[in-house]
Amino acid sequence: MSDVPAASGSLIRVRRFGWTRGGGSRQVALLRYLLIRLLLILPTAWLLVTVVFFLMRVIGDPISAAMGGRLTQDQIEQRKEAAGLNRPILTQYWEYITGFLHGDFGRTQDNQAIGDVVITYGAATFELVFWGLLVAFAIGVPLGRYAATHRDSTSDAVLRFAAVLAYAAPVFFVGMLLKLIFSVWLGWFPVGGRASTDVELALQHVSPKTNILIIDSILYGEPSYVLDVLEHAVLPAVALGLLTGGIFLRLVRVNLIQTLRSDFVEAARARGLSARVVTGRHAMRNALIPIITVMGMCIAMMLGGAVLTETTFEWKGLGYQLAEYLRARDFIAVQGIVAFIALLVAVMSFVVDAVVALIDPRVRF
Amino acid sequence: MVAAALAGCGSGRTDEAGSGAGLVVGTTDKIFSLDPAAAYDNGSLLVENQIYSYLLNFAPGDTTPKPDAAEKCEFSTPTVYTCKIKSGLKFASGNPLTAKSVKFSFDRMLKINDPHGPASLLGNLDKTEVVDDLTVAFTLKVANDQTFPTILPTQAGPIVDERVFPADKVATDDEVVQGKGYSGPYTITSYDKNKLVEYQANPDYQGILGTPKNSTVSTKYYATSDNLKLDLQNGAIDVGYRSFTPTDIDSLRADSKVKVTDGPGGELRYIVFNMNTMPGNTPEQKLAVRKALASSVDREALASAVYKNTYQPAYGYVPQGMTGAAEPLKQLYGAKPDKTLAAKFLADAGVATPVTLNLQYNPDHYGSSSSEEYAAVKSQLEASGLFKVNLQSTEWVTYQKERASDGYPMYQFGWFPDFPDADNYLSPFFGPNNFLQSHFENPGINAQLTAETTEADPAKRVELLRKIQTDLAQNFLPTLPLLSGKQVAVSKPGVSGVDQTLDGSFKFRFTVLSK
Amino acid sequence: MSTATVKRRRIPGAGLLSMTAGLQRITLITGLVLVTGFVFVAVFAPLLAPYGLAQNSADGVAFVPQQGPSAEHWFGTSVRSEDVFSRVLFGARTALLVIVIAVVLSLLVGVPLGLLSGYVGRWVDRVLVLVMDAIYAFPTLLLAIVVSIVVAGGTSSSLGGMLSAAIAITVVYVPQYFRVVRNATVAVKTEPYVDAARVTGASTARIMFRHILSNVTGSLPVIITINAADAILTLAALGFLGFGIEPTQAAEWGYDLNKALNDVSNGIWWTSIFPGTAIVLVVLGMTLVGESIDETLNPLLRTRRAVTTVDEKETADD
Repeated sequence: MSDVPAASGSLIRVRRFGWTRGGGSRQVALLRYLLIRLLLILPTAWLLVTVVFFLMRVIGDPISAAMGGRLTQDQIEQRKEAAGLNRPILTQYWEYITGFLHGDFGRTQDNQAIGDVVITYGAATFELVFWGLLVAFAIGVPLGRYAATHRDSTSDAVLRFAAVLAYAAPVFFVGMLLKLIFSVWLGWFPVGGRASTDVELALQHVSPKTNILIIDSILYGEPSYVLDVLEHAVLPAVALGLLTGGIFLRLVRVNLIQTLRSDFVEAARARGLSARVVTGRHAMRNALIPIITVMGMCIAMMLGGAVLTETTFEWKGLGYQLAEYLRARDFIAVQGIVAFIALLVAVMSFVVDAVVALIDPRVRF
Repeated sequence: MVAAALAGCGSGRTDEAGSGAGLVVGTTDKIFSLDPAAAYDNGSLLVENQIYSYLLNFAPGDTTPKPDAAEKCEFSTPTVYTCKIKSGLKFASGNPLTAKSVKFSFDRMLKINDPHGPASLLGNLDKTEVVDDLTVAFTLKVANDQTFPTILPTQAGPIVDERVFPADKVATDDEVVQGKGYSGPYTITSYDKNKLVEYQANPDYQGILGTPKNSTVSTKYYATSDNLKLDLQNGAIDVGYRSFTPTDIDSLRADSKVKVTDGPGGELRYIVFNMNTMPGNTPEQKLAVRKALASSVDREALASAVYKNTYQPAYGYVPQGMTGAAEPLKQLYGAKPDKTLAAKFLADAGVATPVTLNLQYNPDHYGSSSSEEYAAVKSQLEASGLFKVNLQSTEWVTYQKERASDGYPMYQFGWFPDFPDADNYLSPFFGPNNFLQSHFENPGINAQLTAETTEADPAKRVELLRKIQTDLAQNFLPTLPLLSGKQVAVSKPGVSGVDQTLDGSFKFRFTVLSK
Repeated sequence: MSTATVKRRRIPGAGLLSMTAGLQRITLITGLVLVTGFVFVAVFAPLLAPYGLAQNSADGVAFVPQQGPSAEHWFGTSVRSEDVFSRVLFGARTALLVIVIAVVLSLLVGVPLGLLSGYVGRWVDRVLVLVMDAIYAFPTLLLAIVVSIVVAGGTSSSLGGMLSAAIAITVVYVPQYFRVVRNATVAVKTEPYVDAARVTGASTARIMFRHILSNVTGSLPVIITINAADAILTLAALGFLGFGIEPTQAAEWGYDLNKALNDVSNGIWWTSIFPGTAIVLVVLGMTLVGESIDETLNPLLRTRRAVTTVDEKETADD
């Protein structure tokens, strides 16, 4: 295309996607934007890990955390020296970064490989966040749609109030109430944990072991185990999902209301399509776009909020483990987990932006 | 239809793991390492108690070390402690347990000297030598160290298989579980670190703990004591051990669905005084302030109101129930707060009242009730009219950095014993180069400490231990003991044996439990 | 510019109130009542509370710990024998202080950075966006620990604790303000009046702060209310994770709630329900206010066109 401006410095060969003049240059800009975003993921993660590295050194060391109060200061200093903690900080940083680039993420203080730790606990958090999101979508989207189409009615008021309430209550408070009502008083669900003791023991011997218990229990092949795992997932998923569900509800409602007023919806109505079809097929798709945008942030928020849910419901995942490592000042473990989370968030953010850029013709770069 | 599909996916099993979890014990402690060279914490101790054997160990209910893997141990010369090992012992790996294994275990602990390990407990060990296939000789630096036999059952003493464990580095948990280089009453059949561990009775064990009364035990790890308690009340687990809050224990005692058992505990809670920075212009005034404080705290109120009797008042430096315990502070300063006496101490030394105190504590390292404890202490001290207390709390890592560098004039501290000997409450605290680092050092006390650690006659030793405590309480008061702890375990009614293991050795053994 | 824009002195927000109707008005009013109530309690806590925040005895008689609500103690007593009602009231002070510090700091840092990034663009923009994205993934807990140690020396003193929580919240929220202001600036900077200002020789700073700032602050009120709501929730979460403020120094809902969680399964409900409800009500109030502002000012959501004053505001904003 002759009108691809030379000054854009396109790094890629352009393929023609259409015959119209507008189509080609947009595709170039899109690909260029996405490529830059992709390339920026690594520097973002690196920046974060570096900041965390230096910050962790400010707040104390793992030996003092573990041995303080039982050994003399001299003994602690000796041990710190032996562990190599007194070397120049830049040397330690360089060693860490070069190891990182070779795929050696270090070992925790109690001698576990960081990669193993991240995978094992990450799988647990992934399962929790998955169930939580499922609940959030199941609550937020249909209820948000209902609220939007019945705007300013009593049910709209009740729903919005409930959504705000779900957001306002601290998640560990909600967790406690759920435990109290559904476990202790009603006895419908277990108090915590990911599975009953027997089931958990049995699932240790599954191959391949994913640590995503619902998958493991299906692989194991015992239906009662699958039920057990699902039973244990209910309360934590609801606690986590209520919070996000409330946010989704309000988002869907607001964006659906906006979309319902737009021109193309009026046009659809004018063509005689029923309200249900208009809302369901035409408006909802547009209204879901902002939710996708927020998803990246939501996942990050869930990872953060997960530590509270994980502690309340004995769901030992990455959030909980990160808090433990922070308490123990285990530098390497914290850096490793933060790096992983940073990469995850960056990738999610990129995917979300790419999806939105692709499907929403209004987005410009 | 779904069930059929699910049943069809059943190809994932590797092997049958056995018939379920057996007796389930819940705890909130965390395992640090299965390798003894790197394990110096309560969570790892619980595992070591079950899977390792020791030269000497404590039988349930006994606080004198008796032979476990050894046949006989004694001082062959004042500086050499010799142990003869039983013959025919094997590790769970199948390898024989010989004097070489013992030498290997102690050598590697000192060689690896892991920053998280208990090698400091072997401070008096010079070298370990193999005399013959079944005899081992420990050469000590200080002669006639009466505490050495009590160190053998501690976390410094597990015997490991020299063919399985690396000599110069720490083994990973997986390596330990796979290698089975241990010889205790149980073997580990399933290991999910800090989540679920399963033990099976070891038929080859020939030690002092005898045959386990159950064949399978599992330990379930909890993030909060709340969940531990709820699962116990629901019947999801059988025993809960470490740690419950006082409020929990109070309501559990009233619950007929569970049984609360307690036993002597070794934990000590006290206030440390920085001899230089504490209030008072001269050493005499500082001592007067300390004495006045000793007469003003209401330990019984702390024990009953704050801790709901899971702790008892401590009037001496060694907890009651331990050999050599004494209660000098009762006679000297009163069992109950005595305002007149406290005022007299201060007036005699010319200290102006009210004395302003900056008292520091840590909110979570010594249990979550520390804030209640110190709020009560503050109230008690201020009720006497003699003190004004500023209470402050700091997070743990900063806390013990500050306290060791004169950051706090008075601060909370606690101690959990390494081994059940009175000296473990005295030398580390008041001896030369002690860990308190509060600028307390007295040659007279040092001499008395050396005397008691090397006194072979038990009766004479007890006298010396009591005398040291009286001396400290009367003339120095470098710390103010407040409370000593009890071990508490909660169990379902059908479970028996819990009371047998809550003894003065502070080792929780699964071997005596059954349901 | 319409000649009819004579600036009359109005109560801030009165215009907003008059723009609402029906449900929106009720929402706004409820929110405002809750927020005003909160601020009132926070300011007048020492006068309203029957006992001190760490008081555990009166006239020489110690309070009984963990007693249920009674005539002397409307909300019962806590595990430290304190009066729960007094602590809830004093907790409002702590919460208000943290919110104010967090919001002020976030605005001071986030808005100028957003303006700068949006207006100047180029590599400055790229770098700042990168940095802000990195902050999204930053674990709040680590931040809280670091700030707590650096600012307060790890002590849970009153000011130290509040400052640490506030700074931790600020760092997490700056990217939000930054992003919103930056996007709005990018949209606005191509407007003719900005060109005009540049042509007449105005400095970059003057352009940013005089001309652009007032036009990009539209979404800020909503973010402020969300930020404030989050500040309290983060404070509560930090209290739950062990970074609360020492109870004899200041009352904090999150800390009390954390302590109370253990009580609940033992049948003691009053130590958790009251602080928990306090948190919920305040966050509810702020979120309702934020939602109402959004509903009212967002032209796509407005339900009815009100009087001419609204149109003028609309043209000025767009």
